[in-house]
Amino acid sequence: MSRLEAKKPSLCKSEPLTSERVRATLCVLKGILTSSYGPSGRLKQVHSSFGGCVCTTSQSSALLSNLPVTHPILKILTTSMQNHVSCFRDCGLFMAILCCNLIENVQRTGLTPTTVTKLNQHLLSLCTSYLKSESCGCRILVDFSSPQTLLCLVRSIITSKPACMLTREERDHLSALILRAFLLTIPENTKDRLILGNSIIVPLKGQRVLDSCVLPGILIEMSEIQLMKILPIKKSEAFKVALFCASLSGDLSDTGEGTVVVTYGVSLENAVLEQLLSLGRQLVSDHVDLVVCQKVIHPSLKQFLSMHRVIAIDRVGVALMEPLSKVTGTQPIGSISSISPSSYGSVKDLCPAKFGFKHFLHLIPYEATICSLLLCNRNDTAWDELKLTCQTALHVLQLTIKEPCVLLGGGCTETHLAAYIRHKTCNEPESILKDDGFTQTELQLSTEAFCSALESVAGSLEHDGGEILTDMKYGHFWSAHAEAPSIVNWPDLLSRCGCGLYNSQEELHWSFLKSTRHPFVPQTYLPHEATGSADNLTLDCFTAKLSGLQVAVETANLILDLSYVIEDKN
Amino acid sequence: MVMACRVINKRRHMGLQQLSSFAGTGRTFLGPVKSSKFIIDEECHESVLISSTIRLLESLDLTSAVGQLLNEAVQAQNNTYKTGTSTLLFLVGAWSSAAEECLHLGVPISVIVSVMSEGLNSCIKEVVSLQVPIDDVFDHLDSTKTFSGLETFNISLCPFLQIPSDIGLQKEHDLNDVASPSLTTYSLSGIPVKSPKLFRRQTEVEADKNTLQNPQTLKNSLLAGSHYRKSILIHSRHFNRTANNQRINKPDGFLEQHGAATPNYRCNDLVELEMGLSHGDHNSMKLVDEAVRLQYQNASIQQGNCTMPFRFDISRIFTCCLPGVPETFSCVCPGFITVVSISNTTLIKELENQPVRVILIEGDLTENYRHLGFNKATNINTLLESMKIQQNSSEEVWTNDVLQVLMKFNVNLVLVQGNVSEHLIERCIHSKRLVIGSVNSTVMQAFAEASGAVQVTYITQVNENCVGNGVSVAFWRSIPSDVIDRINVITIVIKTEGINLVTVVLTSPVTAQMQTKEDRFWTCAYRLYHALREQKVFLGGGAVEFLCLSHLQILAGQSLSKRNHVCSGWLHNTSSWLASSLALYRPTVLNCLANGWHRYLSTLMYNTASCSSEFEASTFIQQHLQNARDSGSPSSYILNEYSKLNSGIFNSSISNKLEQIPSIYDIIIPKIEAWRRALDLVLLVLQTDSEIITGLGHTQLNSHETEGFLFL
Repeated sequence: MSRLEAKKPSLCKSEPLTSERVRATLCVLKGILTSSYGPSGRLKQVHSSFGGCVCTTSQSSALLSNLPVTHPILKILTTSMQNHVSCFRDCGLFMAILCCNLIENVQRTGLTPTTVTKLNQHLLSLCTSYLKSESCGCRILVDFSSPQTLLCLVRSIITSKPACMLTREERDHLSALILRAFLLTIPENTKDRLILGNSIIVPLKGQRVLDSCVLPGILIEMSEIQLMKILPIKKSEAFKVALFCASLSGDLSDTGEGTVVVTYGVSLENAVLEQLLSLGRQLVSDHVDLVVCQKVIHPSLKQFLSMHRVIAIDRVGVALMEPLSKVTGTQPIGSISSISPSSYGSVKDLCPAKFGFKHFLHLIPYEATICSLLLCNRNDTAWDELKLTCQTALHVLQLTIKEPCVLLGGGCTETHLAAYIRHKTCNEPESILKDDGFTQTELQLSTEAFCSALESVAGSLEHDGGEILTDMKYGHFWSAHAEAPSIVNWPDLLSRCGCGLYNSQEELHWSFLKSTRHPFVPQTYLPHEATGSADNLTLDCFTAKLSGLQVAVETANLILDLSYVIEDKN
Repeated sequence: MVMACRVINKRRHMGLQQLSSFAGTGRTFLGPVKSSKFIIDEECHESVLISSTIRLLESLDLTSAVGQLLNEAVQAQNNTYKTGTSTLLFLVGAWSSAAEECLHLGVPISVIVSVMSEGLNSCIKEVVSLQVPIDDVFDHLDSTKTFSGLETFNISLCPFLQIPSDIGLQKEHDLNDVASPSLTTYSLSGIPVKSPKLFRRQTEVEADKNTLQNPQTLKNSLLAGSHYRKSILIHSRHFNRTANNQRINKPDGFLEQHGAATPNYRCNDLVELEMGLSHGDHNSMKLVDEAVRLQYQNASIQQGNCTMPFRFDISRIFTCCLPGVPETFSCVCPGFITVVSISNTTLIKELENQPVRVILIEGDLTENYRHLGFNKATNINTLLESMKIQQNSSEEVWTNDVLQVLMKFNVNLVLVQGNVSEHLIERCIHSKRLVIGSVNSTVMQAFAEASGAVQVTYITQVNENCVGNGVSVAFWRSIPSDVIDRINVITIVIKTEGINLVTVVLTSPVTAQMQTKEDRFWTCAYRLYHALREQKVFLGGGAVEFLCLSHLQILAGQSLSKRNHVCSGWLHNTSSWLASSLALYRPTVLNCLANGWHRYLSTLMYNTASCSSEFEASTFIQQHLQNARDSGSPSSYILNEYSKLNSGIFNSSISNKLEQIPSIYDIIIPKIEAWRRALDLVLLVLQTDSEIITGLGHTQLNSHETEGFLFL
């Protein structure tokens, strides 16, 4: 007898943002995010109460990947951050912090959600059109003829992840490696469309970071004993490759439902093995030199193949299959019954390699857009963080090829943009006001909320109680000691702006970021000479940051606009 | 599911405090004299005797986040280098206290991180001056090939047990100078020498005489042998390499000094290195030395005229532990020595004195074993067509099949990496075939290379090509039968012509010490392995750490006004205000870092009992630091002191009694990596401000624990 339980009524809460609990949890989340932001951000130890390894990180992707949050509002925020990160990999914290700031600031203004969301949209489009325009004063076009800009971009990304635990020398080494790995994925000859290859990150934990290196082609890890068995490799012009994704282990895993009845004396195992061996005979007669299998190869088949001088490698894993099929120019074979001769691929050369205590077989392809980045770091925690960082950097480089420009980092873009928006809405409010009938005050309040949200993101870079200033010419970000005497010689106290483009010796005027100041026109049109000479800039990915800005504003609008949360309690 | 988040860095840094308390447990493992610890499990009343960091951490409860990170760091060091874990653990403790001190003094975290990190970098650059290059010690061995006769030397023939005060001396002597009995007199002079710590004090020297009867002291002491006389020349190595080479090419000076010296002085180079790296554990290092020599001889024979440089292959050394056998029977033999049950006695007798054919099985040798990745289908039923009852079980059928294969290929020895069916073993004994299970994979590989056998997974794969030839099986009788009978096993040796495998037999009368003994052997072996691989070593005995200490103090004292631009580069983020206020905090942080070294050195001195208290050690170090500072160049001060120490000038009172005090060496990369790992861990924890625990319900936390947690 089944029992029916009466359905519980759904729970409906109005104005969720006004609830004290929501505010408190939002505040905690914001605290976690802001304290992790930037190169001197604090790290978080994330671990499960059920055991497992501890992850020490300050990256948004690692921080929130498995973070169950309870309240729907927090869920909206973390989900849109995760979506952003899965597409762009960078600027996740920027997005989430900006979103939190916007929500907080807007609530303080007391404007109606409809007004605010519309005005935010206007302000956002002001930002995006400025950032995309020629006149943008915080954007640098990438000069692909020199590696400087790209190197700075990669270095900035690595620097902003302190949990990688790198020294300066190690950071520079890795920046160069990542850039080299990226360049190896660009095909030499392209017709109409550029198809990038990929870099495979090969773990080599426990070794020194400076032992990391990049190699073209694919490294297949294997035990020393396994490697000894296939050595010496006979030399030939090209190696004919058969790539299997089907298991060659000789088991009968697909017997399906029900029972199979077999007459005594018949061995199914032997039957399958016989089938495998006939496959082996075909491979030998087709003059295959190398058999690679994603799963397991039956020891007898391996023995048969090696007797005929065919190299057999099994258990390469699913992650390597796509690169292997790219490198060899073939599709993986999914059945063991028959192979068409067209399904063989080839590689140029094979050689054994040893790095640290690991042994590899190195597959060198003809035309390589695949490379292997052997990544070393001292311990697991730092390695995991470094791997994520490398993936971010490689992805950012791909984004930069599509949209060949970068934004100034170190908080300068945010402060500059805020100054620009303030100036725009103060001096040319008509463009916004004319359509929707907002009042001047509404616009001003909203602008203030928006701009100070942007500025607080920049301010979140400071974790040691320093003071943030901005200059009245470029609108850049400057940091100073908090206990500076009241009458100071600013040029001496300050050194460089956040992105490193300007130094304090120019004739500049500063004001505290938190103080109110008159709107000014930040200098637009970044002169090319200014950026060409600087070799140690902090830069951000243009596409990722722009998207982060958009997602932050849209998400904040969505959350601000929520009037009811209806929960199904069943 | 709720996520909880705890701020761990409010007033006091909990993470750093946890680190230093964990690290405190391993303090006594620092240095050559390690005090053992008993760890007792209160629940099951089991206890274990440990004397190394890695075993300590195995027995500690490290489930907290910081504990896990610590364990991870120590394991990573151990897996990569097999040494340096005690240093790592100690420095984690010392530097987490240092970091905490900086926090108390109000230094911003980012500044601590960058100054400490760059300070250590600077130390690592500085200590390059204390590197000692190793020249091709095996080239020198080469010339002694004619005389050595080492492999004939068997320790078990020398019952030293009765004269404990001379064990070490006698062993060392026998080991190196079997062919030159004229040296016996001073090798046996029985003068005990303490470890040549850089900070050796005169009073201690006097004390040495009184500890003569104490075997423990002796064990940890270095020996005055004939092999260390050229120590003064060693120090020319620091200054340039060519001078060093000259020394090797012109042995005249050496010969002049010691007329009795034979051409084996070249060989002494290896011995000197081993002595320096033994850190007082001569028994283990002696075994390592024998193993290396055996490997070298084997390599020379195999190569013939081909002159490939010899490489010490640590993977081809295998240990066989025999608990319950007196310590003196530890020895090194070529081939594979293993323990088999006493029921094999007659079988071994039959197999002796004839070449045996061998097969190597990679997996288990049981009926039901299938290779990795093979999934057995569970839904297959076998149908019997006739009512004829099967006479044999399937196991019996399988065993018969195996025996048939063995007979067909005339195989009398089966080495199996995994388990072996008991039934099969019995049947094989009856048919005069020996099956040995659980054989180490490198042993299998060595036999595969030497006998021509090919490793297979299933017995059905065996064909003529897979069978190896010319293997000999014999009783291993180096331990008297009455001793070995007591532990109720028989030991056999399996080898084949030119097999690249050396078995080190480790014995200990106390079963609880077996693990420790094995660990110590490997520690010595890996130290030598790394030293030979790097071709250079550090001057040891605290010299390197002392240089770091004085270097940091000097750095801290330097005025920053001129070096401002250099230091601002120390911060990753050069545009931050922290870069410009670095000068303000730098001396504080560097001094705190230096204090870590200070604690390291004083604990080292205290542990080796050269000081009665850490305070005493500390004042002594202070004195030396002052001297080093006054001298202007700490590194040359250390080099001078070291050579004085070696020539006996430093301690004039002993110079007339001791011939020489040998150098102590340390390995370079593992040591430096241990430093880096320790600092990395501390800085990682320092920068951590909160702990996020996922998958936690409110109910899982006690009410007093909930305090300080924020829930999302």
